Amino acid sequence: MPIADKYFPDEPKAPHMITPCPGPASKAKLAELSTAFDTKAAFFIADFYNSLGNYICDADGNLLLDAYCQISSIALGYNNPELLKAAQTKEMATALVNRPALACFPSSDYYEILKEGLLSVAPEGLDRVCTAHTGSDANEMAFKACLMYQATKKRAGKPFTQLELDSVMKNETPGASDMVILSFTNGFHGRLFGSLSTTHSKPIHKLDIPAFPWPTAPFPTVKYPLEDHVEENKAEDERCLKELDHVLSTFPHQIAAAIIEPVQSEGGDNHASATFFQGVRELTKKHGVLLIVDEVQCGGGGSGKMWLHQHYGIRPDLMTFSKKMQNAGFFYHDPLLAGDRPYRQFNTWCGDPSKALIAKAIIHEIKENDLLKGVNETAEYLYGKLEEIREKYSKLVLNLRGKGRGFFIAFDMPSAEIRDKFLWGCRQKGLNLGGCGDVGVRLRPGLTFGKKHVDILVGVVESELSEMSNH
Amino acid sequence: MSTYAEKYFPEEPSGPKVVTETIPGPKGKAAIKSLSEVFDTRCTFFITDYSKSIGNYIVDADGNVLLDAYCQVASIGMGYNNPNLIKVAKSDKMVRAIVDRPALGNFAGVDYEEMQRDVIKYAPKGQKYVWNGLSGADANELALKAVFFNYQSTKRGFDNPFTPEEEVSVMQNLPPGNPELAVLSFTRAFHGRLFATASLTRSKPLHKMDMPAFHWPTAEFPGYKYPLEGNEEVNKKEDERCLALVEDRFKNWGSPIAAVIVEPIQSEGGDNHADAAFFQGLRDITLKYGAKLIIDEVQTGCGGTGIMWDHERYNITPPPDLVTFSKKMQSSGYFFHDPKLVPNLPYRQFNTWCGDPKNILMSGAIMKEINEKDLLPALRETGLYFYSKLEELQKEFPGFIRNLRGKGKGCFMAFDVPSPEKRAEFLAKMRINGVNLGDCGEVGVRLRPGLVFGKKHVDIFIPIARKVIASL
Ligand SMILES: Cc1ncc(COP(=O)(O)O)c(C=O)c1O
Ligand SMILES: Cc1ncc(COP(=O)(O)O)c(C=O)c1O
Repeated sequence: MPIADKYFPDEPKAPHMITPCPGPASKAKLAELSTAFDTKAAFFIADFYNSLGNYICDADGNLLLDAYCQISSIALGYNNPELLKAAQTKEMATALVNRPALACFPSSDYYEILKEGLLSVAPEGLDRVCTAHTGSDANEMAFKACLMYQATKKRAGKPFTQLELDSVMKNETPGASDMVILSFTNGFHGRLFGSLSTTHSKPIHKLDIPAFPWPTAPFPTVKYPLEDHVEENKAEDERCLKELDHVLSTFPHQIAAAIIEPVQSEGGDNHASATFFQGVRELTKKHGVLLIVDEVQCGGGGSGKMWLHQHYGIRPDLMTFSKKMQNAGFFYHDPLLAGDRPYRQFNTWCGDPSKALIAKAIIHEIKENDLLKGVNETAEYLYGKLEEIREKYSKLVLNLRGKGRGFFIAFDMPSAEIRDKFLWGCRQKGLNLGGCGDVGVRLRPGLTFGKKHVDILVGVVESELSEMSNH
Repeated sequence: MSTYAEKYFPEEPSGPKVVTETIPGPKGKAAIKSLSEVFDTRCTFFITDYSKSIGNYIVDADGNVLLDAYCQVASIGMGYNNPNLIKVAKSDKMVRAIVDRPALGNFAGVDYEEMQRDVIKYAPKGQKYVWNGLSGADANELALKAVFFNYQSTKRGFDNPFTPEEEVSVMQNLPPGNPELAVLSFTRAFHGRLFATASLTRSKPLHKMDMPAFHWPTAEFPGYKYPLEGNEEVNKKEDERCLALVEDRFKNWGSPIAAVIVEPIQSEGGDNHADAAFFQGLRDITLKYGAKLIIDEVQTGCGGTGIMWDHERYNITPPPDLVTFSKKMQSSGYFFHDPKLVPNLPYRQFNTWCGDPKNILMSGAIMKEINEKDLLPALRETGLYFYSKLEELQKEFPGFIRNLRGKGKGCFMAFDVPSPEKRAEFLAKMRINGVNLGDCGEVGVRLRPGLVFGKKHVDIFIPIARKVIASL
């Protein structure tokens, strides 16, 4: 039985649109809300009480099939009955009203919660976890871990010098580090000051915010279909790796770590080959640079594996997560990455046990129901259908990609305007989709998306494309 | 009339109970050992059994019952297992908020506005809007971003487009797209530990060491002479000296200063207080130089000092531009009132979750409870009583308790002890005698009980402190 039938026997059979989306009720509510909270990025007002499974309900009562899922952060559908149970336990209530300062006063069940939850799906070789609050936060804490690690190695057991102690209070070197974090062109790692300095997706994400002068290396621009561009793509991998080697060899400051997404999501769903990722791993090792894999968006099962980088057979030094796990943080192995002494990697909450509990419940469901197998099967079916669509609408659907990467499927459209019009048109027909990069359309359904949902998605996409090509 | 604690925590213990020779005891130690295999436990005081903790008492894995005057680094305001919050935790709204966590910036839920208004209702005087974060550091960094967006768009013309130079340079992390702007913070300040906030933090080298930092200015925070009575003149001079330093930075710093950020009471940095003249002086200087004033109420806010927002006691006029919060609020973010602190375009101040309805719901419930049950007048009374008892203790042990401070600010009090070593010994002995306490600054001991701490808890605290100090 498809998992959605098991979880959601009452799931709507199809989208149901009563008004345009956003409709009058959404618009009225947005107008009100905007007097307290910035609503410029709002798609519509959602009615989560009436959302179910793969369908999101809006304030006007429209029901949309959701293949965006709160920017890829809802893993098991809306109002999943198993998660509702987890949210109603005594443990959850205790966690909610007694939120601890986790590093100082961890709860007696935190070890079990981590062990049975997050750590049970940690990628091979990474057996410790540091918990955080958002994707950006997780990445920045990972940067801190790497920067302190490298500085501690350099100090070789010596205490901080007086000069370090004095200069750091003035935000000057040597106490303040001049080491850097390397990232890749078009990457996205968050929007706080450190993470934003490694983000290179779009100017709008970065403008007007002071940044650290950190280096980038090129991420490959892959040509599609892959079968027709084998040589070119291979050459592109080599060019990018060569350039990376060059930056790692010549950048004037020590590079503490490199951070990379397994698929660059916000930056346009840019995929690269296993060869490229293996090359990045080898080069970082060769240069004594730590490798952070950012699984904030890719992780959590959407790719058909728990972590997308597992498709490439590489082992990073740190791996960050958030979104679908509902709990943010990073996995690591080397204890020195926790800092050579206490209170260096620290903050008030250091995570949130209520989130660790939900993560545990999500992980339990993924394992219990073999959801990744379902994702792979459904995704293969979905990709096949989209290939047919690409054939048929080859002027509108470009660079279809993500084969064999579960639901991590995307395609480009000829321009930003056409893409935006397409997304809007699909929404009016009851399909909620997201964009990425300048001209990309990305699919981010939950792990409960089945073949029957594919048929509906494909139907809407096709009908919208057909209308667009007739105009 | 019964106190809040008596009414809502009828099963609160009548005093601490220590059953092991050390804290953590054998069970706690074993639990720390296994947890340390997967999670850094070097900061762990003890493992807590939250299901057994109640009201002002925290219970550890060995069954030790401690009076808690630290409260999760000043973040549990309403006591452990507060029955009125448990109701909220079990409500349908909360359950949905947990299971269907939205990307708030894109898909706010139908009940979100009401939740948010339940928080804004208690916003500091003069503040109208809110933007949510997920920790204290996050809240402060988001506030900084709002200030920088505003600074540059004021320069550019609020709705004017970016220049091609900006759009190109920004992809290389260079000006003019990434401008060299600064924010001024104070010596001994603490604003968090992410990259920009660590650049603002000046409490201890360990909080900052080995992180790349922005080259931002500091000025000195006043260091008052205690007792305040009798030192008015000296302290007034100190205010003037510090304000002159701030003004000097505005005149002479190499890059424009877009904002000043300040805590109403510098907490991590040692519980350093300042007065209305100092805060008004900051307001005047920021206005004069076109900079924003950010008040960091992460630790002081939500009633901890006997009023909802500590900076309100200074009647800063016009009110600060942004006020950040976290900790006791159980939700994080910043309040503001100028609509131009919202960037002109979408997706500038943005991230996946943009907060968490779970936290916002809890925050609204906490503030409602504080106000409906009139917790703050009771806390102010407890605070004065507590202060007078500590004053007596200071007279008894003038060599040990110094610079007692925080009078009239609820139980937000601190005192210094002769040395860091003595302090460590004092805190450890307090713990084994049944009181959980925290430190701050070099030699400070800070009191951070919850808002439900009453006179009877003071009467338990004081004799234990007396006994411990006498033994030192
Ligand atoms: C790969 C990646 N890293 C980091 C982030 C930042 O996460 P957050 O929005 O929770 O700060 C995102 C968000 O989209 C992301 O896609
Ligand atoms: C005044 C102040 N600001 C900011 C912070 C940082 O908050 P968080 O630890 O949640 O990042 C703290 C934490 O102690 C604080 O006291």
